[in-house]
Amino acid sequence: MSDRERDVLREVAELAANMGPALTPAAHLELLKSITTAAMSLFGAAACSLALLHEDQEELEFYVASGAGAEEVVGMRVPLGQGLAGYVVSSGQPIAIEDVTRDPRFAAAFAAGTGYVPKSILAMPLETDREMLGVIEVLDRRTRGAGLEGSGEMEMLSLFANLAALAIENSRVFADLGRTLFEAAGAAAATADLTEALEQVARSAPAPSAELAELAALFNRLALVGPEERRLATRIVTEVVSFVSSGRWQR
Amino acid sequence: MAEIRPAWSEQFEPGKLGRVAALGLPAPISKEWAWGGATGAGVKVAVIDSGIEASHPAVGGVSDGVILEYSPDSPDADEDGIVATPGPHDDLYGHGTACAAIIRAAAPDRELYSVRVLGARLTGKGIVFAAGLQWAIANGMNVVNLSLSTSKQDYFAVFHEIVDDAYFHNVMLVSAINNVPSPSYPSQYAGVFSVAAHDGKDPFSFDYNPSPPVEFGAPGIDLEVAWQQGSFIEATGNSFAAPHIAGVVTKILSKHPGLTPFQMKTILAALADNAHTDI
Repeated sequence: MSDRERDVLREVAELAANMGPALTPAAHLELLKSITTAAMSLFGAAACSLALLHEDQEELEFYVASGAGAEEVVGMRVPLGQGLAGYVVSSGQPIAIEDVTRDPRFAAAFAAGTGYVPKSILAMPLETDREMLGVIEVLDRRTRGAGLEGSGEMEMLSLFANLAALAIENSRVFADLGRTLFEAAGAAAATADLTEALEQVARSAPAPSAELAELAALFNRLALVGPEERRLATRIVTEVVSFVSSGRWQR
Repeated sequence: MAEIRPAWSEQFEPGKLGRVAALGLPAPISKEWAWGGATGAGVKVAVIDSGIEASHPAVGGVSDGVILEYSPDSPDADEDGIVATPGPHDDLYGHGTACAAIIRAAAPDRELYSVRVLGARLTGKGIVFAAGLQWAIANGMNVVNLSLSTSKQDYFAVFHEIVDDAYFHNVMLVSAINNVPSPSYPSQYAGVFSVAAHDGKDPFSFDYNPSPPVEFGAPGIDLEVAWQQGSFIEATGNSFAAPHIAGVVTKILSKHPGLTPFQMKTILAALADNAHTDI
């Protein structure tokens, strides 16, 4: 492969990296929130939350929650090495515990973080056949004794877990589109040379720039508002672009 | 002229083949024959999990153990990046203690080993699980309880090889299957005793599933289990069903040492609640 061809690939990777955030499926958070709300409603539960594995693989961060204590719990981080959520993510096994307050370490740790201390927890890993993403938890469900005990409840929650895992994986692809595209192309390439070249581009592909990602996120939110508001936003952006390109604006 | 023999046939030449114990099974096989009077004595059992709280009243002590962690930058790391710390350790979550206590209830005189593979980081999880299994095989464990799994396809071949190795060393791997629709390793391999929870509470009653991959059903729903700091909690999970089968296997093995995994499965299938002689 020539240097020129490598340059082109690198430019494509950069372009893809910067475009990725703009292509992230609109309403990603809303979708996850609708999953926790639906699960909460179906289980007649007090709350339902999603915690995702942090990049350092050492902590879980509560990402979306519905119901009691939802506002307090979102953003909370817990170490992977303790607690039920940590166990579920580490072992890959779902678990249900009744009266968690009998676990001496649990009650204190949970109560310190949120205003809501549950009595029962049903927790299920969020994973695909590629990676472990986190955990979905249902707090104080009322389905116990309603003919869904034990594995029936777990099977039902696993359907929600699967939905959430796919939604999360889907949005992550866009968050790092440059790398993802070239890794996929590398894996599919017909010759070892081409694979190596594409993988090299994937390794050196830049992450999307923070400013562009922020701007893209704003455009995503605009997709959710009405046509009037979108027209207003378009006019404002057009004015800004024309102002900064006219030379009248100096930093 | 020297006789040409196909590969692997040499060990079957007259005078070279080892003798094996004929399995003198009664008909029908009974629980009394299988484990009547057995206590688990002489059987080494490893619980590959979050550690075991040795002082918990329901555990009855731990013979020995090891913590396995993935830490490739450590000077003590082996070629796979694993650091092994032998000796006593705590249970991080309570789950390993629960499994150990369930096994002890069935087989109080077993020799118990804790292999802690769950830890503070998820990095290298599959490699650490694999190292736990290799530790159990290398250290002469007879029964291994594995209430954990991975869905990551990358580990398909790694676990397949280790499970075959365990099978050929007569190590009984008892593995909880998870509830997630995607495959989970190593619980779906034919070489393990895969277990899911059934509704029953009797620790010595189990089912054999004629439609695997999950082969056995055992108690795992709304159980009172041992937990950390000497506590007990009510819990549900396939991960509590596996140690019930591990306990029964330990009991049987203490009365009939030297059984192979396929002989053990024959006995379990014959003693399952849903096994009938009139079919």
